[in-house]
Amino acid sequence: MISLAQYIKKSATYKIFSNIFEECIKFLNTIGQIAQIGFHLIKCILRDGISFKELAYQCERFGISSLPITLSIVGMTSIIVSSQVANEMVKQGGADFIGLLMTILIVREVGAVMSGFAITSMIGSSLASELATMRVTEQVDAIDVLSVDSVGYLFIPRVLSGIIMMPLIVIVASAIGIVLGGITSNLFSGLTYRAYFTSVWLGLYMKDLFVSIIKSAVFGGAIALISCTCGYYASGGAKGVGIATTKAVVWSFIAIVVWDMVFAMLFFF
Amino acid sequence: MSIEVRNLVKKFDDKVVINDISFKVSDGEVLAIVGFSGSGKSTVLKLISGLIPYDSGEILTSSGDIAMVFQYSALFDSLNVFDNISFALRERKDLRKKYSKNDLQKIVAQKLELVGLKGIENKFPSELSGGMQKRVSFARAIVTNPNTILYDEPTAGLDPMSSTLIEDYIVSLKHEINAASIVVTHQMSTILRTADRVIMLYDGKIVFEGTPTDLLKQDTPYTKQFVTASLEGPMKMKA
Ligand SMILES: Nc1ncnc2c1ncn2[C@@H]1O[C@H](COP(=O)(O)OP(=O)(O)OP(=O)(O)O)[C@@H](O)[C@H]1O
Ligand SMILES: [Mg+2]
Repeated sequence: MISLAQYIKKSATYKIFSNIFEECIKFLNTIGQIAQIGFHLIKCILRDGISFKELAYQCERFGISSLPITLSIVGMTSIIVSSQVANEMVKQGGADFIGLLMTILIVREVGAVMSGFAITSMIGSSLASELATMRVTEQVDAIDVLSVDSVGYLFIPRVLSGIIMMPLIVIVASAIGIVLGGITSNLFSGLTYRAYFTSVWLGLYMKDLFVSIIKSAVFGGAIALISCTCGYYASGGAKGVGIATTKAVVWSFIAIVVWDMVFAMLFFF
Repeated sequence: MSIEVRNLVKKFDDKVVINDISFKVSDGEVLAIVGFSGSGKSTVLKLISGLIPYDSGEILTSSGDIAMVFQYSALFDSLNVFDNISFALRERKDLRKKYSKNDLQKIVAQKLELVGLKGIENKFPSELSGGMQKRVSFARAIVTNPNTILYDEPTAGLDPMSSTLIEDYIVSLKHEINAASIVVTHQMSTILRTADRVIMLYDGKIVFEGTPTDLLKQDTPYTKQFVTASLEGPMKMKA
């Protein structure tokens, strides 16, 4: 005979719920860590200033090295969307609105979100594995023992580079996406460039551009902060580096989607 | 008093790794900590340097810098040797901007010469042998002239001559700046050349305390087993 308590503990439902509960605790814990580090960084910047040499290096890494992949992903998404949209719109007699629709889509959503995903997979993973490797090879300890603030030293240039570079990347990627949308509409649906770009101007709102820039700065900072935090708290050898990197990518993806929703609610309803 | 440890206890999860140990190291003294692998030597150094928190007890150190030479060097692999050694001078809040580029070059060159590695400023850690990395990490740790120095196996993996070089330097630091030092080591030569006193750890406890000569007398089961490196004795290898 087993008691009811034992029976419940053995049941699959209990296991599932206790797992979910555990994950929720870990989730809150990670959010706590990220917030704590975020506050610490602000304090450090106000107190000690910024090392511009290191910042320049990190900006180059964040922006330049990721550009080909980011542009390809945003560009291809624009081609796919415009090829679907243009055809249908021409059929329905809405050819004049293709440029407007593409612009709104790209500036409001596709540019920032797709760039965010691309940057996460390239830069986020590399930041996380870099810091995690430093952690498990005791390089982070070495920084601390030399009485240098390891969080400030490692995070400030990396997070700031994300905040600075991400809007630039998104602007370039969005512009290329809009142009590619025009070319695609022309090739597949016979839309003239003139018709497309006239309507692009109509869809280009100042407010959208502004929100897009703020949004991408938030994405860039969030990706860098989350990835660095996951790496910084890694533990346990090569396996720990792998776990930290996975965690960084998953969390950054989630953060992008959640922030995107927050921005949509704040600015477009 | 320069380093004083009182009733120190450290657990990892439920496993007691340091079980109520107390010892003192005065200024100008070198204490060697010996013991088998896994006996908690590195943990003691990490506790003293403040890298990990302890569960109970007390650690008192005199004011001033604490330096630590890590068991596996822990050089910054994205920085070259020059930037590694000058790291604290460039990045520490209270020191940065105090030294010009020229000063830094002079200091780094001098420290490199001291560990027998002149002229390798521009090399990266991955281009160095394990023993060279160890010596660079030694140079990095002592660059701020700390008065409390913790060495985690500073001579492990070094050839006999490089070992002697490091050992002599440990001794000269204790004379010159009256540093209080702790040397974790397995190497008899290092114990004999540097240590004023030796403590042996086993199972998180101190099982022997005395001078290097006492250690060599082998008049306790623990010292006997350690010096003869025997598998028979009170200390058992554990998985
Ligand atoms: N971060 C940690 N988490 C859990 N257990 C740990 C951790 N660090 C050390 N330990 C455990 O503490 C014990 C002592 O480890 P420590 O590294 O201090 O040994 P050591 O005496 O330096 O050994 P060695 O001579 O091999 O370097 C070991 O049993 C080890 O498994
Ligand atoms: Mg050790």
